[in-house]
Amino acid sequence: MLDVAITNYVALSATIFFIGVAGVLLRRNPLIMLMSIELMWNAANLLFLAFSRMWTNDAGHVFAFLVITVAAAEAAIGLAIVVIVFRNAQNVDVDEVASLRG
Amino acid sequence: MIHHVMGVDGTYPLLVAIWLLPLAGAILCWAFGPRLGKLAGPLGSAAVGIAFVLTVLSWGAGTQTAGGALGAHQSLISWLPGFDLGLLLDPLSLLWTAIICGVGFLIHVYSIGYMAGDRAFARFFAYLNFFVFAMLTLVLSDNFVGLLVGWGLVGLASYFLIGFWFEKPSAVAAARKAFVLNVVGDVGIMFAVFAVAALAGSVAFGDVFAKSGGFGTPALLAICVALFIGAAAKSAQIPLHTWLPDAMEGPTPVSALIHAATMVTAGVYLIARCAPLWSKSPDAQLLVGAIGGLTALVGAILGTAQWDIKRILAYSTMSQIGYMIMGVGVGAYEGGVAHFFTHAFFKAQLFLGSGLVIHALGDEQDVRKMGGLRKKLPFAFVAMVTGVLAICGIPGFSGFFSKDRVIQGALEHGHPWLYAVGILTAGITAYYMCRMLFVAFLGDYRGDVDPSDLGMRHPELAGTPFAADGHDEGGHHEHAPAWYMNVPVGLLVVPTVLAGWLMFGGENSPWSRFFAGQFPHATLPAAAIPELATTGIVLAVVLAGIAVAYARYATVTATSGAVARLRDESIRMPAVLTNLFYFDAAIDLLFVRPAQLLGTIFGRLLDPHVIDGGVRDVAAAARWLGALARSFQTGLLRAYALFIVFGALAFIAYYALAGGAR
Amino acid sequence: MIAFVILAVALIASAVWVVTAKKPVYSVIGLLAHFAALAATYITLSAEFLGVVQIIVYSGAILVLFVFVIALLSSGIDPFKAGKDRMPKAAIPSAVIVLGSLGLSAYALVKVPTVGPRPSVAALAARAGDADAFGSVADFGKALFTVHLLPFEITALVLMVAVIGVILLAGGEPPPAGGPKRAERVRREMREAIVRAGDE
Repeated sequence: MLDVAITNYVALSATIFFIGVAGVLLRRNPLIMLMSIELMWNAANLLFLAFSRMWTNDAGHVFAFLVITVAAAEAAIGLAIVVIVFRNAQNVDVDEVASLRG
Repeated sequence: MIHHVMGVDGTYPLLVAIWLLPLAGAILCWAFGPRLGKLAGPLGSAAVGIAFVLTVLSWGAGTQTAGGALGAHQSLISWLPGFDLGLLLDPLSLLWTAIICGVGFLIHVYSIGYMAGDRAFARFFAYLNFFVFAMLTLVLSDNFVGLLVGWGLVGLASYFLIGFWFEKPSAVAAARKAFVLNVVGDVGIMFAVFAVAALAGSVAFGDVFAKSGGFGTPALLAICVALFIGAAAKSAQIPLHTWLPDAMEGPTPVSALIHAATMVTAGVYLIARCAPLWSKSPDAQLLVGAIGGLTALVGAILGTAQWDIKRILAYSTMSQIGYMIMGVGVGAYEGGVAHFFTHAFFKAQLFLGSGLVIHALGDEQDVRKMGGLRKKLPFAFVAMVTGVLAICGIPGFSGFFSKDRVIQGALEHGHPWLYAVGILTAGITAYYMCRMLFVAFLGDYRGDVDPSDLGMRHPELAGTPFAADGHDEGGHHEHAPAWYMNVPVGLLVVPTVLAGWLMFGGENSPWSRFFAGQFPHATLPAAAIPELATTGIVLAVVLAGIAVAYARYATVTATSGAVARLRDESIRMPAVLTNLFYFDAAIDLLFVRPAQLLGTIFGRLLDPHVIDGGVRDVAAAARWLGALARSFQTGLLRAYALFIVFGALAFIAYYALAGGAR
Repeated sequence: MIAFVILAVALIASAVWVVTAKKPVYSVIGLLAHFAALAATYITLSAEFLGVVQIIVYSGAILVLFVFVIALLSSGIDPFKAGKDRMPKAAIPSAVIVLGSLGLSAYALVKVPTVGPRPSVAALAARAGDADAFGSVADFGKALFTVHLLPFEITALVLMVAVIGVILLAGGEPPPAGGPKRAERVRREMREAIVRAGDE
């Protein structure tokens, strides 16, 4: 199969993860923020599977599967919240919903 | 030598009755004053009168020498060996108690007449009884702590009584001044008591005096000096004397009782009581004697410059107490105490007599506005004459015997300078007392002379105590004093004249026999000048003083001449005398101003800026911290996300650098 | 190796596309491409089942959900107008974090030695072709329902909570215009109308 060193996968996963972080921190559209979060989930998944392949252990598969499940649930709830908050909003901009300001 | 040993099995419960009766009277008058009304007077007088009767009945017990101890003893609280509290009646305290209760009783009766119609009649008697109780605590205690308690209470009673007419700002100020100066003395005596308790392990007089030999000379000197600071404050000795003239703001009976006969003699009592300590410290004796003599002289000099009749008497009190202090200070204990005895009578007589005059003239106190009272108030005149003759030391009258004893005692104990001072002061005393007598009682009545013609409210004297004259309201109503006031004065004539005869006879006199065993006796070399010669010298000086006063004040009989002479004297009075040798000014400069400055610094600078500022800074810091914490709560989602990322990175860094996951 | 490189480039490029696209719809397209590349990567890692699950769940369900929400939000108003940037200075720490981390990754890639053995061909080959080869459905199912049963059940619970939550959140009526008083009045009128209808 692939004779790629595990460090390559680690680096790839880290890169995708931090691109996702940048998306969360720098974009103001809530939907794009949620999509960046999906990127982060998937980076973690990639790492799970890479290590699972390395040690020929099924646990990685199982946990990646569970991660997909939880990510789906989280996306559902997150989108529901986005819909409710921004239903009647002027701008779809996360900076506008700062009512927790102390 | 008979010691006052504690623990003798004598118990004498009557002492407690003597001690507490005035307190009961005070409490009753305090609590039920409004309801008692006029009854408060007889009630208070009865309390003190019964105490006096009991004292007389205790005469035998007080002078007994049973079981090697002098006098009768009653213990009150017995809780710690050496610190038991009790009462002691020995010749010294018996004498003082008799004077306090006897003269006190007469003054109580006098007050019924003098204070009649006063709004706070019952309160006066409550305070007066309280004072008697406090003074009895002082003299009847058998230990330093009880004495100290009485000391403080007496100062408190004095404050109450001087400021009795508290609507007068001058009275309040005088009361405060007296109290503050007394507190200065209290500090001194407190430290002395501490030292005594530490060195002797006991506060009982008997124990302390028995062990005093082992204190060491420096400690003894320190203790005596500290005790004397207290005595000087209470007895108005220099430099703590400035409160006594101002204390004349109180009613005249108050001046008679506490500022003539009893409270101011507390210092004399203290020194006489602690005679065993003083006899062991010649340096302290010299100090005390010197200050006593100085005070006698200064008091007499200032007495020549006063125009208020009560202030003349106040300075004469200061001077005579100087004699007493000089006497007991140098070691002539019997002489000093004898002078206390006679002084109580004639000074009370003089004050009560002046009270008759003041009352009759409608509160006029300046002698320049008196005159001719010999014809207007003959009874008061006779009383004052007896008092003046006694204080001058005319042979046969009481003051003659005691004053000579003091002066001769100074010489016998090796203080020729004090001897000279005593003689000089006797002359000056005669001068100013006769001055008062002649100006007030001879000639014609000057009540309706314009005050400025008499030198009062003269522009040159503006700012001095006597220039702003407060007695010029019109409508003096004169009325005859009631018998309440006349009878005590009349009764006092007897001891004023005769009391001195108790001291006649030197070592075999009733006086010396009374005090046998009380005081330590030192063997003295024969005096350079025999007693009889001293008597002659003093008499000559006294007569010279009287002659000078006569020449100045009694020879000009016409009113206009008298007025002119008084005016002259008022204008030409040297500033140093009208300003009372600048003692008040010095105390103001040295102590009052710095204290006020300190108060201002604290009040304007330290308190608002440092202390309050500190508190405010703490609050400001809390607010700043709150603002800082608040600045994180932006409400922006992305900010919170950033913080989460920071936190996560911190975790990762920790695990990466600190050895990986455990 | 080549497959890995191509797929890696695809993954990174599509991720960057997702994060930087102007409109959300473009981001969705980018995400779709990302998921596809990811599925291919999973297959290269012998996780065939998961690759297919990835396509089904992620691309098929979640992305569609995103598209629906975009559609919902853009109805009636000028879609996705952005307000004032309230955190202008956020870019700096974000950049620092991202670039730093990328740098660290690059450094790790170059310097850190290979961790663990390379995947061995032999261990896989032993079961290749079997019904329960590594990464197949049977193998996966066996692991899921025996060894890791507890996580599975917990995840089921999480899903149920999510469903309930979504229903609660978005299933309620929108608040009526005019405030709670008006709502109360409307409800009262409706009740009276029903009662009147029952009387007739």
